[in-house]
Order: sequence, then structure tokens, then C-alpha cells
Amino acid sequence: MEIAGQDAELPEIRRRARHFALFVLIAFVAIAGRLFYLQVFQGDVFFRVTSDSIVRTDTLPAVRGQIRDRKGKVLATVRPSYNVYGTPGVVKPEVFARLRALLGMNGDEAMDVWERLAAPQNTRTPAPILIAEDVSREAMASIETGVDLPGVKIVSGPRRSYPYGGLAAHVVGFMNEISADELRSKKDEGYRAGDLIGRTGVERQWDGYLRGHAGFQKVVVDRRGMPKTDIRDVIEGPATKAAVPGNNVVLTLDVEVQKAAERALRPASAAGAVVMDVDTGRLLAMVSKPAFDPNEMSGHLTPEAEQRLLADRYKPLHDKTVGETYYPGSTFKAVSAISALEDRLVTPEEKTKCHGSFELAHHVFRCTKTHLTVNLYDAIVQSCNVYFYELGARPGMMDRLAKFGADLGLGAPTGLGLNGEEGGFLPTEEWYRDQKRKNPKAEGFQIGQAVNAVIGQGSTRVTLLQMVTLYAAIANGGKLWLPQIVERVESPEGKTLEEFAPRVRRELAVSPETLATVRQALVGVVNESRGTAYKARLKDIEVAGKTGSAQVQTGRGEGGYESVTHAWFVGFAPAGRPKIAVAVLVEHGGHGGDVAAPPAMEIVDKYFETVAPADKDAPHVGLPRRRAPKPADGQTGAEATP
Amino acid sequence: MNVVKAIGWRKLRFRFDWTLTLSALTVAGLGLVNLWSAVHDRQGNLFSQQISWLGLGAAVFLGVAAFDYRNIARLGYIMHAAGVALLTGVLLFGKIVGGGRRWFDLGPFHLQPSELMQLLTVIALGKYLNDSPAFEERSWRHLAIPVVIVSLPVLLIAKQPDFGTAFLLLLIFFSIMMTARLKLKTLAAILGLATLAAFPIYQHLLHEYQRKRVEAFFNPNSEGAYQARQALNAIGSGRFFGKGFLHGTQIRLRHFPALWTDFPFAVWAEEWGFVGCAVLLMAYLVVILWILKIAGEARDRFGATVCVGVASMLFWHVIINVGMVSGTLPVVGVTLPLISYGGSSILTTAAALGLVMNVSVRRFSY
Repeated sequence: MEIAGQDAELPEIRRRARHFALFVLIAFVAIAGRLFYLQVFQGDVFFRVTSDSIVRTDTLPAVRGQIRDRKGKVLATVRPSYNVYGTPGVVKPEVFARLRALLGMNGDEAMDVWERLAAPQNTRTPAPILIAEDVSREAMASIETGVDLPGVKIVSGPRRSYPYGGLAAHVVGFMNEISADELRSKKDEGYRAGDLIGRTGVERQWDGYLRGHAGFQKVVVDRRGMPKTDIRDVIEGPATKAAVPGNNVVLTLDVEVQKAAERALRPASAAGAVVMDVDTGRLLAMVSKPAFDPNEMSGHLTPEAEQRLLADRYKPLHDKTVGETYYPGSTFKAVSAISALEDRLVTPEEKTKCHGSFELAHHVFRCTKTHLTVNLYDAIVQSCNVYFYELGARPGMMDRLAKFGADLGLGAPTGLGLNGEEGGFLPTEEWYRDQKRKNPKAEGFQIGQAVNAVIGQGSTRVTLLQMVTLYAAIANGGKLWLPQIVERVESPEGKTLEEFAPRVRRELAVSPETLATVRQALVGVVNESRGTAYKARLKDIEVAGKTGSAQVQTGRGEGGYESVTHAWFVGFAPAGRPKIAVAVLVEHGGHGGDVAAPPAMEIVDKYFETVAPADKDAPHVGLPRRRAPKPADGQTGAEATP
Repeated sequence: MNVVKAIGWRKLRFRFDWTLTLSALTVAGLGLVNLWSAVHDRQGNLFSQQISWLGLGAAVFLGVAAFDYRNIARLGYIMHAAGVALLTGVLLFGKIVGGGRRWFDLGPFHLQPSELMQLLTVIALGKYLNDSPAFEERSWRHLAIPVVIVSLPVLLIAKQPDFGTAFLLLLIFFSIMMTARLKLKTLAAILGLATLAAFPIYQHLLHEYQRKRVEAFFNPNSEGAYQARQALNAIGSGRFFGKGFLHGTQIRLRHFPALWTDFPFAVWAEEWGFVGCAVLLMAYLVVILWILKIAGEARDRFGATVCVGVASMLFWHVIINVGMVSGTLPVVGVTLPLISYGGSSILTTAAALGLVMNVSVRRFSY
């Protein structure tokens, strides 16, 4: 049919076939080049992508360290718990209904969980969702063995537990789940989604010591998440790393003292108390009332419980020992007395006449009563305001108070660093003038403000912790301690890793004579028959201290709870050889001597009764021998020489 | 009988083209190794089925090689017409799989006529070029019948819809026509028109999922990019020496549709690395270049053009398949000859190689 071999077209077709061959060769080289780029240049990148996509890294959580008191009593620990998880898309409505009945979930809670379970998933293998936390053993048993619940599983995990419940709750603190924002900023510190993080107290401040380091285990999984044990070589680096448990934090707190302090405050609705070892600055008890149960706070707080806590007028979440500032009221008179004595405005012997009020520029400043002739000692013992008003009216008193107050540790945080410690405030003349510059309607500085400041009112604000530190310094002869709450850090095996020695913040620039004069007056407050805390005195322990009834400007309606004064008592014992300093504040409690002094005495009594009976016996300071005591009330004091 | 005399077993035995056979067997052997890795832990029966297909393919190869190809050429148009009929039939009675009507359901196996049609088109084009010599370079007026020959199957395949194969058929067509002395100017004009037509076709004729694939190619984060990304990860992660036989992880552990039909190259690349890819490409290259060498030695235009057609068929399959698997081209359902699992593809390739063997055996018989 064709002329074989005679085809004129064939040579050209052959030539073009050779060109096509060349084209094929070039195309193959190009495709090989592409593969070379992908597999050799980019190979390591792709390799990591594929190994990451099939290697699941399971976190091995670290056991969090314990928080203990100074005697080893466990305030916070970890116990096993059982959580129920469900896989979205796998858990069917009827399964969830059965589960809900088993767990006894209420409507809102169940709706919430179901919404998350039924939400559309954008991955092929959705992560299980937490349905219920820390379920009871009975519920766990029925879920695990009883009925078949597809998509539901029980995961056991460690759970933070606080054996003493609300005891020292503000010091110990609580934990809850880390937020997305924190997760971003703390990525380097090894936090992961779902981790609990210390929110308040020692749990927060010492989180780094307590949490340890999570380990991991890398597993090769198929696309359903099932482990594939036969494939190992894609895992780069070590396949497992054991978790390092966190360290134990040992507090200076003493559970016995703490219990005593909390019991002493039982009549109060909202109150705070701090007990400090005056020889070390270590805190033996810190009470903020009302408290919360950290067991309830840690983990998933129900919305109702959260609402209840937030709406509570007594602010249970607020740490009243460091996180709140108050007018010091008459407890501030110790500072005023020290300022006046140091700057030689008065001598202890100088006398003033108190007629029940003090008039300054047509303004009347009231005293508690008419004290008649008083010297410094009487003014402190009976809390005479007029005596101090006169001091306040002296030129430069405002700045003098600020100067000595600052030296005594007021106006700035003590450095404990717990629960957002407040610094309080000491006003100066300049500050008042500055207020006026900012707001022409303000009064600016007037002598009247110094007259108020000298009795701890006006703009002066302090925390309980500042006051206990200040009175401890008066008691110990001038050592202003850096308050200490953590004594040492121990390894899980109990080896001491770090021990924190007491640290003096500074030696006060106050002469020993001045401190002795003030101490003597403070003994009188409790032991003199006219003393404001006389009714609360203890039989066998000589306590020194100062009461205070700080007026509160709330702007709320007169006559209600909020219009009653804050009751203060700050002091130390035993007066002859001080061991502990105590500060008690009862919010809107009324008169300090009636409301704050008795709990303080109870704490002191309990402390020397059960915790340190050996320190109870100390030489009595007694009352000064200066005039013939009136027969009616001359029974106090063994008249021992100081 | 004429037919019996036409069977040239003797010729086949004496002039047997061992290079062609062995290089093709090498590719098929690598393909079997690869298929075992891909299916051994999930669908092991595919492996034995593929061996059956390859055995049947060997018979087809020898059978096609034995007839004098001039007898085959004679039947070129009839076979083409039969192929077109099959394609029409598949549109009417075919089985719908994955959004396309491409297969005849023949009980134990599925016949995909579009694979066979490629070879039938090559033969029909060869017959036309053989029967109508041209003294100058071919231009528009020589294209009339070839265009009819190619456009019937192209349109029917595009209707399935299987744009990948339709496009592939066009590439084979142009490869043959260029070798058959088509004017460069004419080709340029056709390509120019095709470019102009491309946009409306893309907008109006392509199906949603196909547009997605194309978009996926240009936008790696789009929804349709899943397969492409998985394949790319598999290939790249093979690095230089590969993860080793049966140690591919990406392929084994991730969800991977069309693993042993359209994406076997990803399996190969992951387990054998760049070295393995180079070996496989080299094997293909030997087959293709050897076929083109046979084309150059063919005694007539039919033999030459059919060899060029078969070479381009293999070539474009490999380029498009590897290109799409390695993220160089959009994902289209084009098989990797002799490696992809599937009877239609294997048998068509075997028949095509048999035809080339036929030409090789008879290149010196005048």
C-alpha cells in the first residue's frame, strides 16, 4: 500500500523525532531538578512537617510541690482525680443524656458542655472535651463498667487539694486554668493549654518553684490517633522525658496560730489579722475574713459560685492583710508620738489640757471625751486626740509624719510581694498643693489636714502588714523586718534546697529612749485602768498595744454597716520580752478596744498557751511610777522596774 | 489463512527487542515493589490483581507484537470508531465514581475506555498520516481529518468529565502532528487560539471540583489542596535516600485518597528518596528514548508516527503525573504508566508497547 523506503517524508519525521527526544530529555532533567529541590534542598523541612504530623507528643504532667506550714502540716498537695472527657461528634445526644444523669449535672452546665460537644469541628480528629472534672469514685465506676457510652472516656490526673480548706486561704492561694493571653506570654516557661497556674497567694508567687517541669512522650500515631508502635525512627531526639516534680514550699506560717487567729475573729464579718515573730519578721498567721475554699476555686468554678463570691459585700477574694489599705486611726499615734519626740516638739512630761475638743480656724476637732490634763503617756493610753491635735497644728507636722512614717515602713509595700501588696499612702504638704494644682476646687494644704493626719485620719492609708511590722520594730528596739512568709524550699525528697534567713529592711533612725517611752505608753493602753484596751487585758501575759477606731468616709447612708468605724488593735507580747506582734482589724466593727483588742488578746493567749509556752514568762514592764494612782484602779502592775 | 500467515512468531523471536522489553519490565517491576508498599497493610488483594493484569498485559504485548502492524493499520479507523462508540456508551451506561462517569462496571473489574482510546487515536492518526503523504510541511488544510480523529474522543472524554485525560490526548495529538511535519506557524496559531479559549472554558465548562484543584495549585492554602500538600510532604520528606521500603510514614499514616492509582509516585519518592526517583525516571527515559529511536528506524510513516505517538503517550503521562504529585502541575487524574494500579492502564500500555515492538521487529522488512 505504500512505497516502502521511498517515503520522502520519513527523513524529516526522523529528524523531528530526534528533536522530540531532546525535548523529552530536557523535560526529564527539569522534573528531576524539581525533585532534587524538593527532596534534597527542602528535604529536611518536609521531613519535619511529616514527622510532626504523625508524631504526637503526650505531656507527662509534673507533680506540683506541696505547701506546708513551718511544722510540716500540709496546706496544699496533689491527689489523684478522675475527669470525664467526650469526643465531639462521637458522643451522641442520647449518650450525653445518660451521662448527664449519671453525673448529676444541672441544666446550665449540661447545656454548656453539650454546646461544645456539638460544635462543628474543623479537624478530622477533634480533641476530646472535658465534660466533668473530679467525679466521684461511684460515678467513675458506673461510667467505666456499667453502661456503654461511646466517645466517653475517663482520664485520671493529679488534682490540687487543700486539706485545710479555707484556712489561710489568701496566703496559700488557689489555681485555675491558664488563659490564652498568658499562654502566649509564658510560652517559653513551658506552660501548655489547659495547665493550671497559681492565681493568688503562694500558689501564684512561688509557682515557678512549685510546678516542676512537665515531661513528654512522643508516639507515632496514625490519622485516627491510634499509636503505631512499629514505626520509631521518625522521632527526632529523645522519645521520652520524665517529668520533674515541683519542690515543696515551707511557710513560716504556723497552722496552730492561724487556727487560733481565725477562731478569734469568729464574731467579725469582715476582718484581718497578722501575727509576726518580732525577732525574725516571720509571719505566723495571716487571716483575711471572709475566706474562700481554694478546693472550690481551683479548677472550674461554677458560674453561680463565682457570682456569689464576686457579689459578696465582704469581698472574700480580697486579701485584707496586704491588698487593702485602711485609715490607721489612733494606731497611728505611735508614729505621731515618735515624730514629736524625735524632733523634740515635746518632752514626755509636757502636759496639755483636753476640754473635749480642739478649735482651729473656726473648725472644731473632737476628742473622744474630756481628758483634762494629759501628757504624752496619758494621751496614748487614753487615746486623747486633743493632745495630738496640738502637735498636728505645729508647723511642718505633716511632712514630719511623712518622714517618720516612711522610716517606720509606711507609704510603701513592705516587700512581701504577695497578693498585689498595697503600699498605703502618707500625704505631704506638697501632695496637697499638687492636688490643688490639678483640681482648683481642692482645698490645697491646710493645717487642718495635718491635724487630721496626726490621729491617723485624713489621707493616710496603711495595710495590716505594715502596721504589724511597725509595731514589731517598736517592740524589738528598732529592727524593721522584711516580712517573711516562706521559710525554705525543699526538694520532693525533703532536702532543703533554699533557706531564707530573716532580713532586716532597716534599723529605724529612732533613738532607743523614744522607743522605750512609746513602749511604756503602749503597756499602759492595755494595763492602765483608763487604758482603751484595759477591758481586754490578759490575766497572766502583759500585752502592749494601741487601739484605734478609724472613721470611714464611705459616702453611703448614715447608720448602716458601712458607717461604723473600723476597729483596730496593734500590739505585741509579752511586753517585757516581746516575742510576737499582732495586728487585728475588724471592718466596721466599732471601737477598737471593744472589738479588735479581745481577738488580739485571744490570739496572744492561745499562742503562749499552746505554741510557745516557754516564751510566756517575761519580766513585767508594769506601769510608770509617777503619781499616786487613784485607789479605785490601782491594782494593775507589779510595780517591777523595767 | 491469511491471518495465520500474518502472525510472525519467527520474526518476533529472532528480532525480539530486548532493550524495550527489559526497560519496560524494569519500570513494571519497580511499580510492583511500590504497589506492595502501598497496599500490603490495607488492600493486599490489589497486589495479586495487579500481577494478573501484568501477566495479561504480557500476553497482549506479545500478541500485538506478533501481527504485522500493517494489518493493524488497516483496521485503524474501525478500531477508532469502536473506541468512540465505547466512550459514548460509557457516558450513557457508565458507573459514576468520584463525580465522573468513566468506567464500565464489568463485574470483577472496571473498564476505562478513555485509556484505550489514547492508543486507538494514535493508531488512527498513524493511518491517516500514512495514507495522506504531504510534500510540503503540513498546515491548516492537512488538519481537517486529524482534528476529527482527535476531537471526537477529546470531547467525549471531557464530557465524562475527565479534563486531565482530554488534555493529555491533545498533547499526544500535537506531539504526533509536530513530528509529522506540522508547520510551526500553524502550531503557534493553534496554541494562541487555545490560550484565548482557555479562560471561558475554565469559567464555564470546568466543574466546581476541578476549578478547586486548579485554584489549589495556585493557592496552597485553599480547601482542595489537601491531596497536593500531602503528596508534596511525602515526596520532600523522602530526602536523598528515602525512608526505606515499607517505611513511608506520610503515605501510610495520613489519609490519602487515590494512593495507588494517581499518587504511587509519592509512595515511591517517600520510601526511596531522590535516588529512587532518579532511577525510576531513568528507566522511563530509557523506554521513551528507545521508542523514539525505533520511530527513527521505522520503515514507514505509520510505524514512525505510531512510535512517536506511543512515546509521547508515555512521556506526557509521566510528566503530568510526576508534575502534579510534586506540586508542579494541578492535580488531574492521570495515571503513571506501568506503575499505577489498574487494568485499563496496564493493558493499554502493554498493547502500545506491543505495537512498538511490532514496528521494531519489522523495521528491516521491505
